[in-house]
Amino acid sequence: MTEPLRVIDFGCCSPLRSQTLWHAVGYGVSAGAPTTLSFVRPADPYVCVGYHREIDEVDRAYCRENGLPVLRRMVGGGPVYLDADQLLFQICLPASAVPPLRSQALRMLLGPALTAFRSVGVPAELGEDLEICLGDAKVCGHGAGQIDAAVVVCGNLIERFDHERAARVLALADPDQRDQTLALMRRFVAATPVDPPAFQSALVAAYAGRLGLAAVSDELTGVEHAALTELDERFLSDAWLAGPRRGREEPGTGPVARQVKVRAGVWTLAATHDGARVAAAVVHGAVLEARLHDPELDGAADQAERALAGIPLASVARVLADFGDPGRRLAAAFAAADPGRL
Amino acid sequence: MEQAEHAMVDGFSLALDRCYQAETHMWVLVTDPGRVRIGMDPVGIETSGTLAQLSIVPTGTELAAGRPFGQLEAAKFVGPLVSPVSGVVLELNDAAVADAGLVERDPYGAGWLIEARLGRDDRLAGLLADPTEITAWFAAKIARYRLDGVIAL
Repeated sequence: MTEPLRVIDFGCCSPLRSQTLWHAVGYGVSAGAPTTLSFVRPADPYVCVGYHREIDEVDRAYCRENGLPVLRRMVGGGPVYLDADQLLFQICLPASAVPPLRSQALRMLLGPALTAFRSVGVPAELGEDLEICLGDAKVCGHGAGQIDAAVVVCGNLIERFDHERAARVLALADPDQRDQTLALMRRFVAATPVDPPAFQSALVAAYAGRLGLAAVSDELTGVEHAALTELDERFLSDAWLAGPRRGREEPGTGPVARQVKVRAGVWTLAATHDGARVAAAVVHGAVLEARLHDPELDGAADQAERALAGIPLASVARVLADFGDPGRRLAAAFAAADPGRL
Repeated sequence: MEQAEHAMVDGFSLALDRCYQAETHMWVLVTDPGRVRIGMDPVGIETSGTLAQLSIVPTGTELAAGRPFGQLEAAKFVGPLVSPVSGVVLELNDAAVADAGLVERDPYGAGWLIEARLGRDDRLAGLLADPTEITAWFAAKIARYRLDGVIAL
């Protein structure tokens, strides 16, 4: 007899429950509940940060003033803006059923989502970076993690995307970086306004087919209800929101940088060094646009900015060497870029 | 600390001066009587992908063999660091927590994760300790992972 794929549609829920419900499923599957595909739509907008990310990456003052809760999830990735125009989905299964190589596990568990997008007329692709894309644009965010003995991979159907707000909730270094982050989001993050019930049905069929399971609508178990109570409390605690302990960063004397990833290979950098300030949009290793400030640049900023357009990051210092001491300071600020830490 | 005795097994470095937990690829090095250093071997790291973030429980936390003592994130995937021993965390490697790449670059050396005092009854039970046995296990695991496409040929 075919094993079940439990399907739970939580419907429209509070921001808190739009996270804690599926985390509770993680504990349920760990305790023996069947592999589960769940859906939830946040009733109200909020911001959600990945397990390891600094809460300071979010503009908490803006969120407070605008009534946006900030929650920390147990899966990876960066801070994201979520609202009622996004249908969140999660596939949760025993860790023992998942390949040990994480990229292989992600490919296996994102594959059905790709199938579902195609079933509803979105010719998406799963890139080498394991993002579901349509052309240059990411159309489905994802994160993954192990909750107790279960692996969960979550994603979203973005029916409409509020790029302005998604950029606004981030704590960014200056208006230049905010402009560039928003511009990159507009170009590299796209909505796919398909029929949500059709997408849900396609997703259920795709996961059931891929995992060899029979889809059955069901509800939370007693274990999961108990976990939900605990998770509701945990996720609202200051200690949880602060995040796990990270290494002590020694205060350095080098450039100060703020990097924001928009999608794989697409990010912004804002950095200062000795009075020089740079903001740059970077796409696949090359500068798309740079904005440069230095007290001694004496009107050459436009020329330097034009010179950097399209230049690989590795060549920035060589190009800026033509601009004397200001160029050297700006190059030092650029040197703070560390794509490995995005 | 003395230079570890290493072997190369099918392209992966293997330190033979320590014990291993076969499922999790965590190594355990006795540094003093009752005190151990714990880290992850290169095959475990390879299956994780490029390490992005690392978090570890504070010093003084009780460790239970088979239970997590931290989390590791790679490719937006957060997974547990599972303790191979029971005991108490004495020290964290702050350098590795601040720069998870250190674990990849020097898994048996500067990329260690924690030091712990062993529990009274913990005698490294269930760990592989014999170099011959360790080498055979490591080679078999690599062969299986290659066969399954988990690691590159």
